[in-house]
Amino acid sequence: MSKKIGLYIYTGDGIGEAVDVDKLLELATGEMGVALAKKHADLYGPEGLSMIKTDVESEELNAIAILGLSFRYEFEGLKFPGVYIEKVGIRELVAWSKKVKEDAEDPDKEKEHIQELAEDYVRMAVTRCQKAELPTPDKLEDANEGILVIGGGVSGLSAALEAAEAGHKVLLVEREPQLGGFAAKVRKQVPVGPSYDHLIDPVVIDLIEKVQNNEKVDVRTGTEVARTAGAPGAFRISLKPTGTKSEWDAPVPLTEEEKLDENGNELSADDQKKKYEEKNEGRHDYMEVDPNAEIVGAIVLASGWKPYQPKEDEFEHLAWGNPNVVTNVQFEELAKEGRVKRPSDGKEVKSVAFVLSPGGKEDDADFPYAGAVTSLVALKQAKYVREDNPEDGKAFVFYQHMRTPGQYEYFYKGLQNDPGIFLTKGAVTKVEAAGDGLNVTVEDTILGEDINVDVDMVVLATGMVPTTKHEAVVNFAYRQGPAFRDLDLFGGYCDSNFICFPYETRRTGVYAAGGVRRTMTIEEAMEDATGAALKAIQSVVAAEEGHAVHPRTWDFDFPDFYFQRCTQCKRCTEECPFGALDDDEKGTPKPNPTRCRRCGTCMGACPERIIGFKDYNIDIVGSMIKAIEVPDDDDDKLRMICFACENDAYPALEMAAKKGLTWSPLVRIIPVRCLGSVNVSWIKDAMSSGLDGALLLGCRYGDDYQCHFVKGSELANRRMDNVAESLNSLGMEPERVKLREIAIDEYDKLPQIIDDFVEEVLGMGPNPFKGW
Amino acid sequence: MAETKKIQPDLSFIRGLMESGGDTVNRCYQCATCSVVCPLSTEERAFPRKEMLWAQWGLASKIAGDADVWLCHQCGDCSAYCPRDAKPGDVLGAIRLNAIKYYAEPKAIAETLSNRAGVLGTVIAAFVVWYIIAFLWSLHTGEHFPFPEGTVAYHKILTFVPIDVVVLPIVGLVVWASYKGITRFWNDIAKGSGIESYTGTAPKPAVGPFVSKYVVPAVQEILAHTRFEKCGETKERAKGHKLLLWSFIMLFIVTTSVFILNDVIYVPFLHKHFTPMPLWNPIKIFANIAAVMLVVGIWMIFQMRKEKTAEGVLQSSEQDWILIWLIFAVGVTGILAELLRLMNIAGLAYPVYILHLATVVTLFLAVPFSKFGHLLYRTTAYVYQRYEDDMKAGKAGFGMEKDVIPPAEQAEEAPEDQKQEESKE
Repeated sequence: MSKKIGLYIYTGDGIGEAVDVDKLLELATGEMGVALAKKHADLYGPEGLSMIKTDVESEELNAIAILGLSFRYEFEGLKFPGVYIEKVGIRELVAWSKKVKEDAEDPDKEKEHIQELAEDYVRMAVTRCQKAELPTPDKLEDANEGILVIGGGVSGLSAALEAAEAGHKVLLVEREPQLGGFAAKVRKQVPVGPSYDHLIDPVVIDLIEKVQNNEKVDVRTGTEVARTAGAPGAFRISLKPTGTKSEWDAPVPLTEEEKLDENGNELSADDQKKKYEEKNEGRHDYMEVDPNAEIVGAIVLASGWKPYQPKEDEFEHLAWGNPNVVTNVQFEELAKEGRVKRPSDGKEVKSVAFVLSPGGKEDDADFPYAGAVTSLVALKQAKYVREDNPEDGKAFVFYQHMRTPGQYEYFYKGLQNDPGIFLTKGAVTKVEAAGDGLNVTVEDTILGEDINVDVDMVVLATGMVPTTKHEAVVNFAYRQGPAFRDLDLFGGYCDSNFICFPYETRRTGVYAAGGVRRTMTIEEAMEDATGAALKAIQSVVAAEEGHAVHPRTWDFDFPDFYFQRCTQCKRCTEECPFGALDDDEKGTPKPNPTRCRRCGTCMGACPERIIGFKDYNIDIVGSMIKAIEVPDDDDDKLRMICFACENDAYPALEMAAKKGLTWSPLVRIIPVRCLGSVNVSWIKDAMSSGLDGALLLGCRYGDDYQCHFVKGSELANRRMDNVAESLNSLGMEPERVKLREIAIDEYDKLPQIIDDFVEEVLGMGPNPFKGW
Repeated sequence: MAETKKIQPDLSFIRGLMESGGDTVNRCYQCATCSVVCPLSTEERAFPRKEMLWAQWGLASKIAGDADVWLCHQCGDCSAYCPRDAKPGDVLGAIRLNAIKYYAEPKAIAETLSNRAGVLGTVIAAFVVWYIIAFLWSLHTGEHFPFPEGTVAYHKILTFVPIDVVVLPIVGLVVWASYKGITRFWNDIAKGSGIESYTGTAPKPAVGPFVSKYVVPAVQEILAHTRFEKCGETKERAKGHKLLLWSFIMLFIVTTSVFILNDVIYVPFLHKHFTPMPLWNPIKIFANIAAVMLVVGIWMIFQMRKEKTAEGVLQSSEQDWILIWLIFAVGVTGILAELLRLMNIAGLAYPVYILHLATVVTLFLAVPFSKFGHLLYRTTAYVYQRYEDDMKAGKAGFGMEKDVIPPAEQAEEAPEDQKQEESKE
C-alpha cells in the first residue's frame, strides 16, 4: 500500500534550540518525499493534537511520523484508526543528550554533528513509515475460558477459588489422594493477621472446604497431568492416575548427548528419529491430539516445593548425620505427632538450637532455597519447643539474617517476648555430639563473645526446592520437550523474568504461584495465587482478542513466516524462548500464535530472513539502516548504529538523557524488542552501507539473568561471535561489532559505554568498504 | 579460635526479672538507641544495651558482675527514646531489685520483704513482739501495762535495755549481711570488669588511701547528688531523694548521739534517763527538723513516682511502693508518737510508739534485704568505679600497678626489653 505520510516535529523541551527544525522539515518534504511536514511548539497539547487530527482527516494521511517525545509515552489524542504512527524520541536522543561543549574548538562543527544526527532520525522515521504495515489481530475463536490448576496445596486451592470467583471454570489436579499439600501437614502455622504473638491452626483446612463446596471447581485428587498440548485459549490436558504410565505421556526429545553415536559424531536424522521413537515407545507423538483431553484456556502452576534434603556428607560441621540433627521439615513432622521426642532415645526435647545459615564464618548466606520463610519457620518451631515446655523449654535461634518482612515483624516481636526464646546473630561454626545431646558453637554473636550451648536437638533451616527443578510437572507436548527449559539459569525456577514479570513462566499461558515460584509463607502463597489466577485469566482474554501477553500487551501483531523459502533449519523452533513453535515431520515450523510473546527471537534466528512482523521486520530495520546518510569523505564523521533493547537499555538511555548525561552524536539508535530479534543481516547491511560500527545494548544474561525474554541477549551474543568471524574474514576488525549488557539502573554508565565504543571505532578509522 | 563461653540461660532469672518490673526486657532488638542517649554509656561499654541482651539471655552472673547497673539512677531517657518500648530504665530497676535479692543472705528475709503481705506481716509481728516484751518487762519494772501511769514517757513501757537487747542483734545481722553482700558484689564486679579483686591475686589496698582516694569522694558525690541531678526525664526526683537522704543521715546522728548519751552515759552512770529531751534541746530540734525533712522528702518522691508512672516514663514495682510506704510509716509514727507524748494521751501514745518501733525495726532490717539495699550497692559501685578507672589507668597509687598486670603479659614484655637493650648495643 502506498503511503501518504505526514511528519511532525515538536520544537519544545529544547528541541528547537538544539537543531535547525526548518532544515529537517525541508529534508522530509524534499529528499524523503513526505506529503506534509510541520513543526509545533506544543505538539502534544490540544492545539498540536488537533492540528494532526485535522491533517489526518483532510489530507487522508495513512502514516505519520512524530519526532519529539519518546515512543514510550502514550497520548490519548494520538490514536487514529488505520494510520501507522512512528514516534521517535529526538528530545531524549538528540536535544537532551547532545551538548555543544562550552570550550569546544569548533562549535559549528559540533552543531553540524547534532543536526546530521537529527536528519538521520528523520530519514529512519520516514523509512519506517513507508515500510511498516498495521497488524490485523489474530483472534482465537471459541477460546476456552477454563483454568487448570496444578497442585491442591494452599496456592492451588487459593488460585482455584480466585478463578472460580471471577467466573471461570476450574479444573484442580492434585497428585496426592487428599487436598491441602504441605500446609495441611503442619502442627501450627505462622499467623496470617493480628494478633501475631501466637501460632494458629492451619488455614488450609478452611480453603479445602471452600473448594469442595464450590460448584465451579472440579477437583481431581490422585491425578497427574500426563501431557499438556495446545496453546493458551485451547490447551488440551491429558490426565492420568498418579504414578501410572499413560500412552499420552508427553514424549521426551533426545538430549544433546543422545544425538551422538559412540564416537561422538552426530547421528543421522533417520537414526535420531529411530532413537527418539525407542525412547518414547508407547507414547503418542507430541503433535498427536488426545481426543479425550480436557480443554482449558490457561494454567496456574501451583505444584509447590520439595524440602531440601542435605546430601549425606553435606554440613558435616553441623553434625548432619547425627540422628538429633534434623531439617525443619523433619522437625515439623516430629512436632505434628505431638510432644517432640528426641530421635536418638525418645527423650522429651527441652532445648533446641535452630541454625539458619550453614556457612560458619566464611559465608553468611542462608541454606539453599531459603528465604524469609525459613526465618519465620524457625521462630514458629521455636514456639513449639516453648509450648511443649512452658516452664523450662529453651529455643535458640542462631541467624545471620532474621527476615521477617512486612507484618511479620509483629510475629517476630511477639515471639521475642517469650523468655525461653533466645535470638542472636552469629556464625554457627560447629555442632558436635556432647553426652547424649549436642553442643553448638556460635562465633561473632551480638553477645560480644563466642558462645556454646548444650541442646537436645539441632534444626537446620533448610529451604524449599521448586518442583520444577527435578520434574517436568506440566508435561508439555511441545517441540522443545515436556519440561521448562534453561532451568539452570535461575536455580530451577521457571519464571521468564523474576523481577519484571511475576507469575509469567517460560511457557505462555502457564502462571506459577506459591512455592514453585519462590520460597514463601502460606500467607504469601495465598496472595501469590491470586496474582497468578488473574494472569491466567488475562492470557485467555489476550488469546480471544488476539494480542500478546505481558510485556507487549498492546501488540496485535504476530510473526509471519514465508514458508516457501523455509529450509527447515529448525533454528526458530529450537531458539524460541517460549516454545511457541512446534514443527511437522520435515521440520517446518508450526506457529502457535497464542503461545507467542512477540519478542522476535525467531526473526533474529532465521538465516533465510523469512520471519517478520508487519511493523518490525528484516526489511524495515535494514532499510532504516540504509537510510542513514554516510559521508565518505570525512574521517571525523564516522557513523555507528546502536541496537538498544526496549526493555532495559533504551529506557536507561532515556533516563541518562533526562539526567543531563550526554554521549557521542555519531551513534544512531534503533530500539529493538529484544537483542534476540537482531538478525545478523542488519549488521551486514550496516557494514555494507559504510557504517563504521555496530553496538548492541541488551540485558544481563546467564546466572540471575535479566533478559525479559529469557535468553535473547545470550543468543545475540552467540550470533555476534559468528559475525565477528565473518568480519575477520573480510579483513575488518571484529571489534567493530560489540554487545554490552546493561541493567536499567545502570543508566549512569551508559554514556561512557557508548563513548568508549565510539573512541575505539574512531581509533580503527573508517570502514574500508565505505563508499563502495 | 577465640575462647568460647558456655552459655546456660537461667529462665527463672528472666522470669523473676519480668515479674519485678522488667516485663519489657524481651522487646529489645539491639538498636542501641539507649546507649546513644545514656550519659553513662561509653564506647567500650554500651550501656544499657549490653545489660538488656544479658538479661534477655538470662545471664544472671554476667549481670551480677556489672557495676554499671548501679551507676544508673533511672533517669528514664533510655525508656523515653526506645523505639520498641522495651523500657531499659525499668528493666535496670528490676535488675537492681533482683541483684539485691541475689546478694541477700539469708534469702528468706529478702523473700519476705519483697511483697506487701510480707512487709505488713513483719510490721505486725514486730508490733506484737514488742508488746510481749513490754508486758514481760513490766513484770520486772512494775509499771502498769499496757498504759503506764503518770506523764507519758516511753522508757516507762520499754527502757533501752530490752530495746537494745532486741535491736543490737538485728544491727549485727544487718551489718553482717551488708558486709557479705558488698564483698560478694565487689568481687563480682571486679571479675566482671577484668580486674582481680583484692581477695584475688592483687594485694589488698591499704585502708587509708583507699578511703581517702575513693570512698570519700564517692560519698561526697552521693551526698551532693551530682549524678542524680543530671537525670533527664525525671530530674525532679533527685530533690525529694536528696532531702530524704540528708534526713536519714541526720536521724542517724541523732540516734547515735542518743544511744551514747542515754544508753552508755546517762543510765549506767547518772542513773537517770536522758530522754525524753525537752523541745529546746539542740539534739531534739535537730531531730525534729530531720523528721519533717523525712516526711516531706518521701512525700515528694511518692508524688513524683506517681506522676512519672502515670506518664509512662517509668514503671513502679511493688517494691518501689513498699519502701516508700515503709519510710512514710516510720516518719509519721515517729512524729505522731512525739506529738501524742507531748499531748499526754497515753491511750494512743504508747501503741503508736510501739508501732513506730515496729516500723523502724522493719525498715532497718530491710537495708540489705530490699530495695533499700541500693544504698549499699550504689555506694559500692560509685567507689568501685573510681577505683577501677585508676586500676585500669595504672595509677591506683598503692604500689599495686605492677601486680595488676597478669603474669603472662609480664613474661612477654621481658624479652622485648632485652631486645631493646640488645639493639642499643
